[in-house]
This record gives sequence, structure tokens and C-alpha cells, in this order.
Amino acid sequence: MKVASKLLAGWFLALLCMRTAAAHAPDTTGTNVVRQELVQAILSTGTEQQKLLNELADSGSKLASDVLGAWTMEEVYQYVAPDGSTVPVMLESQQDAQGRSRAVRIDDGQFLKDASGKELRFGESDLNAANTNLRLRRAIQHVLDMLALTDPDPDARAEAVNKLGNSQNESYVPLLQSRLAKEKNAYVRKAINEAIAMLQLGDTNPAVQIAAVEQLAALNSIGSLDNLNQLAANTNNGPQLSKAIQHAIDSISNHIWWVNFYGTIFHGISLGAVLLLVALGLAITFGLMGIINMAHGEMIAVGAYTTYVIQNLFGSGFGFNITLPFSFLGKPIAFGLNLPGLNATGWFYQSYFLFAIPLSFLMAALAGLVLERAVIQFLYRRPLESLLATWGVSLALQQIFRMVFGANNVQVNSPNWLLGHFTLNDVSFDYNRIFVIGFAILIVIGTWLLLSKTPLGLLIRAVSQNRPMASCMGVRTGRVNMLTFAFGSGLAGLAGAFLSQIGNVGPSLGQTYIVDSFMTVVVGGVGNIIGTVYSALGIGTADQVLQQLTGSPVTGKIVVLICIILFLQWKPGGLFAVRSRSLD
Amino acid sequence: MAQDTIKVGVLHSLSGTMAISETSLRDMLLFAFDQINAAGGINVGGKSYQIQPVVVDGASNWPLFAEKAKELLEEDKVAVVFGCWTSVSRKSVLPVFEKDNGLLFYPVQFEGEEQSENVVYTAEAVNQQATPAVDYLLDQGVKKFYLLGTDYVYPRTTNLILYKYLLLHGVPPEDIGGGFTKDDSGNVISAGKYVPFGYTDFQQIVADIKQFAASGDACVVNTINGDSNVPFFKEIVAAGLTPDQCPIVSFSLAEDELRSIPTRNLVGELGCWSYFMSLKTPENKDFLSKWNAWLQTENYPGVVKEHRVVDSPMELSYDGVYLWKEAVEKAGTFDVDAVRKVLDSGDISFQGPGGKITVQPDQYTTKNVYIGTTLANGQFEIVKQFPQVVGQPWMLKSLDAQLAAQGK
Repeated sequence: MKVASKLLAGWFLALLCMRTAAAHAPDTTGTNVVRQELVQAILSTGTEQQKLLNELADSGSKLASDVLGAWTMEEVYQYVAPDGSTVPVMLESQQDAQGRSRAVRIDDGQFLKDASGKELRFGESDLNAANTNLRLRRAIQHVLDMLALTDPDPDARAEAVNKLGNSQNESYVPLLQSRLAKEKNAYVRKAINEAIAMLQLGDTNPAVQIAAVEQLAALNSIGSLDNLNQLAANTNNGPQLSKAIQHAIDSISNHIWWVNFYGTIFHGISLGAVLLLVALGLAITFGLMGIINMAHGEMIAVGAYTTYVIQNLFGSGFGFNITLPFSFLGKPIAFGLNLPGLNATGWFYQSYFLFAIPLSFLMAALAGLVLERAVIQFLYRRPLESLLATWGVSLALQQIFRMVFGANNVQVNSPNWLLGHFTLNDVSFDYNRIFVIGFAILIVIGTWLLLSKTPLGLLIRAVSQNRPMASCMGVRTGRVNMLTFAFGSGLAGLAGAFLSQIGNVGPSLGQTYIVDSFMTVVVGGVGNIIGTVYSALGIGTADQVLQQLTGSPVTGKIVVLICIILFLQWKPGGLFAVRSRSLD
Repeated sequence: MAQDTIKVGVLHSLSGTMAISETSLRDMLLFAFDQINAAGGINVGGKSYQIQPVVVDGASNWPLFAEKAKELLEEDKVAVVFGCWTSVSRKSVLPVFEKDNGLLFYPVQFEGEEQSENVVYTAEAVNQQATPAVDYLLDQGVKKFYLLGTDYVYPRTTNLILYKYLLLHGVPPEDIGGGFTKDDSGNVISAGKYVPFGYTDFQQIVADIKQFAASGDACVVNTINGDSNVPFFKEIVAAGLTPDQCPIVSFSLAEDELRSIPTRNLVGELGCWSYFMSLKTPENKDFLSKWNAWLQTENYPGVVKEHRVVDSPMELSYDGVYLWKEAVEKAGTFDVDAVRKVLDSGDISFQGPGGKITVQPDQYTTKNVYIGTTLANGQFEIVKQFPQVVGQPWMLKSLDAQLAAQGK
């Protein structure tokens, strides 16, 4: 959002300024030509605009690709000068107190000044953005793609090549072949080969067509399937061509089946990891300690909101004001908090999430500790009352979230390093999903180490197995209970920190996950952490497989729930029932 | 000078899940009433009446909407009601309005396929939002359409209409993504992919869209309602689908909703409404400055003053008040039958912030339709305008007839 666009604009500005400095050197007439072409392209329309854009495509200029990129982001503005002429400008990233910033002229890279030489300042809404529509965006994107063919980043090159391949314009073949001769990166080479073959499908010579079809089959090109189907529908294909097309379609369809297969398994594991994260805390507070903890979801929300606050502290700061709806001794009760932000930028801002993770754990653990001391410690022998009490706490916490953060959802921006994905043989792996899987593994290992290898873990196990006996042996059960509950709540907070990256953060966040959490813990077997791991992965994978098979997320979910009901009829204790001699 | 007053009902959810959206409409209506009262009220039969709003809370509870409507019409005897957001709340109050012969102005985009003489539909019908968006995309060279929505009546009906509309415009069924449900005789009864309210796991749907869009000429028609849009767009960004590869046009995301969505993920995606706050007409600038001034001075309880935006449902609520005023003054009475007769004449129109809006004889409205691309600040840059689109109540039937005529 705002911050990112500012970052981007700042970067453009730095670039423009560099160009400005360079503009005084004698060898930059090329840059000036590009600047004039850019200005004309922005101000013209129709075929003339198209012609200018094509000229820019041949320029190979970094400046052109930056300005055109800003244009598609609606960050190129048109300033109408007092004499009626229109000057295309971009806004500087640094804003003054009124949210206005200086404008950089695209034609010479200087700041825009009025007649008296004073620098003009604008807010985003003071100026009209240069016009774009989908067709123009695509034309600009095409120019950017042509410029990107020589980009140092292989991904950018491959994407540009893909788009040329989809253009159905065979005149690009020589261009691509000349790129192929220079290209060394295997991934980009594959993309270029695929693009050439796609373009050659439209050739008039059947031999070229057959070679292209066979090439596409060998490359397992998913993007070409539509074109192949279209070609197959063509009735005047020769028998050899028809056979080659059929073979290619079968081979690619088979490839898609495998892509979906591996994709589904990956999605299942990542959904399982999310379930595991949200349920692990409950596996401790409900599973080990036996508290029917309805406030577990709100502990997740505490973690998510902590991430939000940390994000804002790295940005422009965080503050709130509350006026309670009743008064005390005739005075309204109001309190508030204002924390200044660090206004961090760049990698430092992007790293806010790394700070948010431990703080989410701490905040949720602290909230759990207070909850345990204030309410739950009186209810250890009365599970049904603990249900009611924690439910009440959950409602109260939701209301507090509403008062502090507002009833609307709040915006949490993912750091750039969590956005994006990599592709392996057409199966796409999102970074945030890989992150959650790794994160879940680390937390499970950490929990296991804590419970089985530390003195505290020994005490926790002793107290959860037999509280009176542990107490007789001199264990301070109250203290152990407090720490266990805080630890379980802290784990919920960690889950919240991650969920803020893939979903909504709002007052009712907890309600979304409480049912899933209980389901996972009960299916896994109450009181057994490893059971929760198996059940989370099992439910996650089953959900994704059924969604793939039935083609509908609703039906998939219903079938999973029916299976769980049947499973619990068969094994009421869950996957790993804890056998004990106790009579409860 | 003692002035007469006329009671007017406001029926919106001020609590519960819909309160976030509907409270804004209540605020806008109060603004419109204050504006009219300050300008001398409503002139009927030579007398001037001050509007006295009766605000009731539907509490996001559909049966309660019917009870509250009954209260407004039978006890408070209001002359007109402005209200409802969800289609289900409208369906719930409809029998009450028909029995008591009340008049309801309904302002929120909906699926059509309904026409009651007790309702004035200032809202966008399907052909004032969904089909213009599709026209625009077809015009821009998009060939494949992936239909995705939340599982309830509005998305299902809209997508079925779009499916038929696309067939009619030469898009073959295999280029319409999301899957189909067919009845026993093989007729398509539902098209598109549906998720429940509050759904969060879009991995597989986005993977599906990615394969669908691999050929580079596809778009997504998004009728997901509510906060499921956030995980959906986050997944889209993570999967690297940009608006240039696969544009997404959303029908339930207006400026008010964009306040709680990380808009960075949406820059360049499309929206289609009959009003955008970024419209640069003098009427709109004037309207926004008066609205902001009113926000600073009003002292109604519960009206939030900071970070307010205006979007299409709010603007259409405002237009509705002025259309009703115009009709009442022309009829010279508050009597519903007489007012309806004037409304149905087709002469009642209002130059609103979004352009001219006219009540049609079928009580739908003719108005401008705009297509905009989302900006990072949560506003829209308008890229296309369809002037004065006539609202069509019965799209399904007319599309079926046209398809049959083409032998499809």
C-alpha cells in the first residue's frame, strides 16, 4: 500500500535525479531523446501513442522502463500549466506536513517550478493521473516486456518471453531466436523454446507446425494447451499433424494431472501446518490441562494484533483513544495511548515481522498468564464452568479489540520476502506457505523439547497426569499450571502472527479458528501432542484432496466433517487415545 | 413560523455483521435529510414540511427487518422508508411493504429478478454493473472468464446471468472457468466456483486460476463478498498473478470496503459502480465538500467523523432521498399511490453526484455506470464510462430468449 508505493516512488526519484545529474554530461543525448519520447507517448493517443511506445521498446532504456512502470501503477500525473500546456510529472516520495510533495518533470528530470521559480508541491489527489485503460496497460506492458528481455533478472526475462509467446505474432520468432543464442540460463532457455514453438504453431508450413507441436509436448507446456485444442479443432490438418497434436494434448493433460497431484499434496501439507499452528496451543491448554478454553481464539487474535502494532511502530506509529460509555462520579472515563513510529524504510521495515514473532508470543503468553491467575486457577476441577468462564472472557476480549482497534479489520502488509513463489516443474510453491511449514516444524520440535527434555516439561507432565500426587511430591502445581497455560497461549499468539500474513485481522479473528482448533485436537486425541500433529496434517490433506476431487470447496469441507463425525463414532478417543487408570 | 413535519423511516443494520457497511448509509441519509431541512424542507400543497427521520435497527437479523418495517409502517406511519442492504433483508420486508402499501428505496447493487411496485430500485441491476464490466473486458481483448463468488443468491444469480451473457457474445463454455452444475436434462443451472462466507484457504482456487490464465488472455469475475477478499487477494499476489496477466473485476469492493483491505494487493484491478468518489464533476466536488462540512458539525450519536469515504451505495441512498422529494412535490401529496404514479411516469430524475439518475416506469433507475482501476490509496481511477444505462429487471428471461433465437 502507501508505504510500498512511496518506496517505489522514492526509488524512481533517486533514479531520475541521477539522470538529472548526468544530463549535464555531453554523452546523454540518448537519454534526452527517450525523455521526449516518453512525454509524447504520455500525451498522445491512439496509433501515434502506439508508434511511440514501439520506439521506446527499441530504446533499451532503463529510464523508459521505470517511467512506464510508474505509469501502469497510476503514479505518472499530468500537470496543467497556467499557459494551458500539459506537463507529465511524477511525485517525489518525501512528503511535507500536508502530505504534499515536489513534482519531478519527466521531460527534463527537474523539479516543477512556477513562473517565479518556486518549487510546486502537490498531494496525490491534486493532480490527474495519466490515463490508462486495460488496452493501454497491455501495450505499455508489452514495451516493458521488450525492455525486460535484456533484464539482468532471469525471472523477468522468462516472463517477458512468455508474453511474447502468447502474442500469436510469428514475427517475434527471429527476435527470440537471437535471444536464445545469447541466453545461458536454463529456465529462460526453456521459456524461449516454448515461446518460439507457440508462435510457430501458426506457421503455414505443416512441417514447422509438427516440429512445434512436438517441441511443446516435450516441454509439457501448459500455457499452449488452449492453442493446441484450437489447432486440433481445425479440420484441414494433415493426418500426421493431427496425430502429433493429439499426442501433445494427451501428454500435457497427463502433465497437468501430476502438477495438480503434487500441488494438492503441497497445499494439504501447508493447510495442515496452519491447522497445527492454531491447534498446538489448544493441545496444551485443553489437551494437557483439561481446560475447555473458549478464549483460545482470542489468544490467536492477540498475536495477530501484536503483529499489527509492531508493523505500525516500524511505520508511522500507533495510537488509540477510548472513551468508556459510562461515567464515574460525573466524569467521563477516557484513556489513550500514542506511540511514535520509527518510520523505517527498506529492509529494516521489511524485517518488522521477525520482531513481531517473538513479541506476539510474549504478549499472548502474558495475556494467558493474567487469564490463568484471574479466572482459570479457580476452575481446575470444574471443566464445565471453565467453558462458560472462558467463553465470557472471549467475548470481553473481542469487545476490547473493537474498542482499541475499531470494528473494521486492520491492514497487515506482508513483508516482501514472504510474497512471491518459485516454480518447480510447473508446481508453484508460495514463500509464505513454505514459511508456515518450516515455522510449524520448528514449533513442534521446540514444544517437544520443552516437554520432554527440560525440568519444567517434566513438571508439566507430572501435573497434567496427576495433579494431587504431583502436589504431594512437592511440585508447586499452581505455578506449573500458570506457566503451562501461558506457554499454550503464547503458541496461539505465534499462530496469530502468521495468520495475519495470509488472512484477515479483525475482532472476530479468533471465532474463525476456534472450531478448527478443537476439531484438530479432538481428532488427534485429547492429551496427546503428537496426535495433534497427525490429525492436523491428515485433515489438511484430506480437505485439499477432496476439494480437488469434488471441484468445490464447500462440498470438500462437508465431506471432511462427515468423515470426522464417523471417525469419532468409531474411535471416540481420537487417533491416539490416552489410556489411564484415572476415573474421570 | 411553525412548520409541519413528515416522518421518514430509515431501516438499516446498526449492529451485527452488516453494521460496518450499513451504518454508513444511515449517516448519508441523515445528511440528506439535514440538507433538505436546512433548504426549507419539502413543499407539498403550498406547505413546507421538515423531514423527521425515524431510525430503526435491523440488527443484521432478517426476520427482525420485517418486524421493524411493520413498526415503521403501522405505528410510526412513515411516508417512505430508505433501507436494506442484503437481498435477503429486502426479500424479508417485501411482504410487509406489499401488505401495508409502503414505499421502499433500495440502494445496494443486487441480482435483479424482482420487481415490486412497493420498491424503487435505485441500486445497480446486473446490467448496470456486471455486464458493462464484461463488455469492457471483451473490448480490451479478454477471451476467458473465471467466475468466482461467495455461496449465496447474489453471486449465483449474477454468475448464471453472466454465463448466458458470455455465451451470447460468442465466448464458448470451455472458456468460462470455475465449473458448472447441470440439472438432469443437461441445462446449466449454476456456473462458477463458490466459497462459503468467511472462507480463508484460497490456495487451490488460485492454482486453478493460474492454470486457466496460463494462455494470457483470461480474467477473473469476483463476486466474493466480505472479508474473504483479503486472503483471496493475498494468495493472488503470492502466486504472482498481476493485473496485466489476469485482471480481476470485483463487484462487492467499493471505497468503503477498501478501507479494511491492504490495497497494495489490488492496484490495477478493476471495479464497476455507478459512482466513484474520485469523480471529478463539479456536482461531486460540491457534494463531497458539503458532506465533509456536515460531518464536522453534526452531533448525531454514533456517527464516525474520521477517515470517511463515500461509495456507490451511499451515493444511491442520497439520490433516493432527492428522487422521493421530487416525486412528492410533483404529486402534491405524501400518499403512496399518488407518489408512485408520479414515479412511474418516467419524469422523475435528479442530477446526483454520480450524474443524472432517472426512475423508470418499472421502478428501476437509469444512471451512469463507471469502470475504475484500484489505486494504492483505496480510490479508483475511472477508465470508462457507460452513460445513462437503463436498468433491466429480468435479465435471465431476456437472455434465454435471445439465446433461443440464436439456436444455442
